[in-house]
Amino acid sequence: MNPWGPFAVFLVVGGAWTVAWALVVLRASGPPHLYEPIYQASGRLRRLLFGATVGVLLVVLLASVGWFPYPPVAAARLGPPSVRVAVTAQMWQWTLSRTALPAGATVEFDVTSRDVNHGFAIYGPSGRLVAQVQAMPGYTNRLLVHFTDPGQYLVRCLEYCGIPHIGMATAFQVGGRGDRP
Amino acid sequence: MSRTLLTERNGPVLRTALLYLAAGFALFLAMGLLGLAMRLDHATLLPLPPALYDEFFTLHGAGMIAAILLGAMGGTVAVLSPHADLDPRLLWMGFVFYVLGVGYIPLAVLLGGFAAGWTVLYPLPLAYQAGWTPWSSFAFLLGYLFVALGFGVWCLAVTLATARAYRGVGRALGWPLVFLGRAQPAPPPLHVIVATVIALYGMGTVLVGAAYLLPLFGQTFGLTGAVSALLMKNLVFLFGHNMVNLTIYLGAGLVYATLPVYAHRPWKTSRLSAATINLLFLSILLPFFHHLYQDFANPLPFHALGEIGSYGTGLPVLLVTVLGGLTLVYRAGLRWAVPSILILIGFWGWVFGGLGALVDATIPVNQVYHNTLWVPAHFHTYYLLGAVAFVWAFFYHLVADLGQAHESAASRAAAWMYGLGGAGFVLMFFVAGAAGMPRRYAIPLSGTGEPALATLAVGFTALLGIALVWLSSDLLRALGPAWRKTLAAPEHPALAPGESRG
Repeated sequence: MNPWGPFAVFLVVGGAWTVAWALVVLRASGPPHLYEPIYQASGRLRRLLFGATVGVLLVVLLASVGWFPYPPVAAARLGPPSVRVAVTAQMWQWTLSRTALPAGATVEFDVTSRDVNHGFAIYGPSGRLVAQVQAMPGYTNRLLVHFTDPGQYLVRCLEYCGIPHIGMATAFQVGGRGDRP
Repeated sequence: MSRTLLTERNGPVLRTALLYLAAGFALFLAMGLLGLAMRLDHATLLPLPPALYDEFFTLHGAGMIAAILLGAMGGTVAVLSPHADLDPRLLWMGFVFYVLGVGYIPLAVLLGGFAAGWTVLYPLPLAYQAGWTPWSSFAFLLGYLFVALGFGVWCLAVTLATARAYRGVGRALGWPLVFLGRAQPAPPPLHVIVATVIALYGMGTVLVGAAYLLPLFGQTFGLTGAVSALLMKNLVFLFGHNMVNLTIYLGAGLVYATLPVYAHRPWKTSRLSAATINLLFLSILLPFFHHLYQDFANPLPFHALGEIGSYGTGLPVLLVTVLGGLTLVYRAGLRWAVPSILILIGFWGWVFGGLGALVDATIPVNQVYHNTLWVPAHFHTYYLLGAVAFVWAFFYHLVADLGQAHESAASRAAAWMYGLGGAGFVLMFFVAGAAGMPRRYAIPLSGTGEPALATLAVGFTALLGIALVWLSSDLLRALGPAWRKTLAAPEHPALAPGESRG
């Protein structure tokens, strides 16, 4: 998902809220009006907003389910993985079972940790955060990613894991040499 | 709509309230300086060694939560005190435990180098190769234990007081109105119901904290082996999530008690509002599951529940509390004062930050926002511009109510500047988060625009800082007279059993 999409929605809705808030604030002082009619009108507005908000949230909720990153849902959307990569985190390095991946393939990363919690985060060639999952000791989290853009992808740790955390990074290649078996 | 909270018998309780609020406010200012240092680091204006940056965010996170909760606890006992007789001894005991706990935190961080973050995510605190000493880890966790203990004692004091005043916990929660529609006898004011819900929920939260800390202590001394990292993560996030949310709702409770004074209108205890507050037992709990999204090993229904719960929680906040507050002030002839300005800013921040939270609570979005600066962006918004604004609004209201107000036009300008500076400050976080800048990262990541965004944030922080210095000076001047006013009030013996002050 392009992170700027939700950001734009956030700005639009947040902006609308700010305008509504400002309108009330601007009318807060001045000669007081009778409260009861305002209270009644507010009740009607509440019922209206309740219906509208529940409706919008239900639509967003249902739409989001198909985009869940969890393996059964992701496999239905992206297709079954054709490549598997074992990922092991350990203070403060990543070990990937392979670092050259084909473009256009669905890849399953089986992510675990040998010590503390880490965050396996993939940044694309454009520097955009593509996907992530936790690397947790004692558990293997399966993350499915479909790579379309070839290039070098960076892996960073996104779960703070001690002072050298900022240096915990590695890279893998998609396409090019990654297309060769 | 009493103009003053001081009665002839609640002086000792109001003194503890002032103490809680003043200590919380001082801690908030100190932790704010650490926040500024971290933004200066990202702006590359004052680069910090990574170890120091990590210590700062550990201290800042733990200290800020402790500070605002302490202030909210103080404010809450103040607004309860005209309605219920709280035991000052319990409040003092809670304060001593709490402050003792808070004292361990800087000791562990600044002397022992502890820097595992305020989330102390198991087993990181015990991974001493990360750069800290075993004793500092123990001291930090001990600090949490005492803070939780202090909070637990406070919860007990509040529950006992409201249950006694309203002849039962159910009546203090407004259940006759909620479940039977009985408006007689008069239900408790909304802030009493909030305090009772939070106190009950808070005692459960303390138990969750203990369940998290005990295995850590056991392992520290070699008494127990390793436990499930997933279980421990779920526990610590349940504890932390609760503590933060309890603070926010305590802040909202203060608004119920304060805003009517400035709007000259009553905030009635309606069946809907009382039921909504009782729903906090669920609406605080359910969104907790959104902390688990990235732990794919958790059951899928947990994740779905996190999204549903997060969406659901937004509804009562927006449609009952915030809409109720805005209705109260709409064409009310509102008296513009520092508290009323801060409360209105708080409504804006609570909803704006809540929107940021809803976006992040949408699971596909969380894939690209989790653990980026979007996370501090949204919680700073509904904290700094929500709960914090509510709590300091009440602090200002209380000292003005008890003592002599030092408010001037400049004070009101400072209150607005707090909102403006705060809004600019958090917006930079939002942009950097969407650009993929990780949180808890000692260096700005190239390609995220972070040095420039952090530089702008520092500028907005300057506005915030000027506003806080001005408001602090008002508070400082009013605090002494307020304290003396509580000493002057005659004190009477406690209520007879069964006698209600409601």
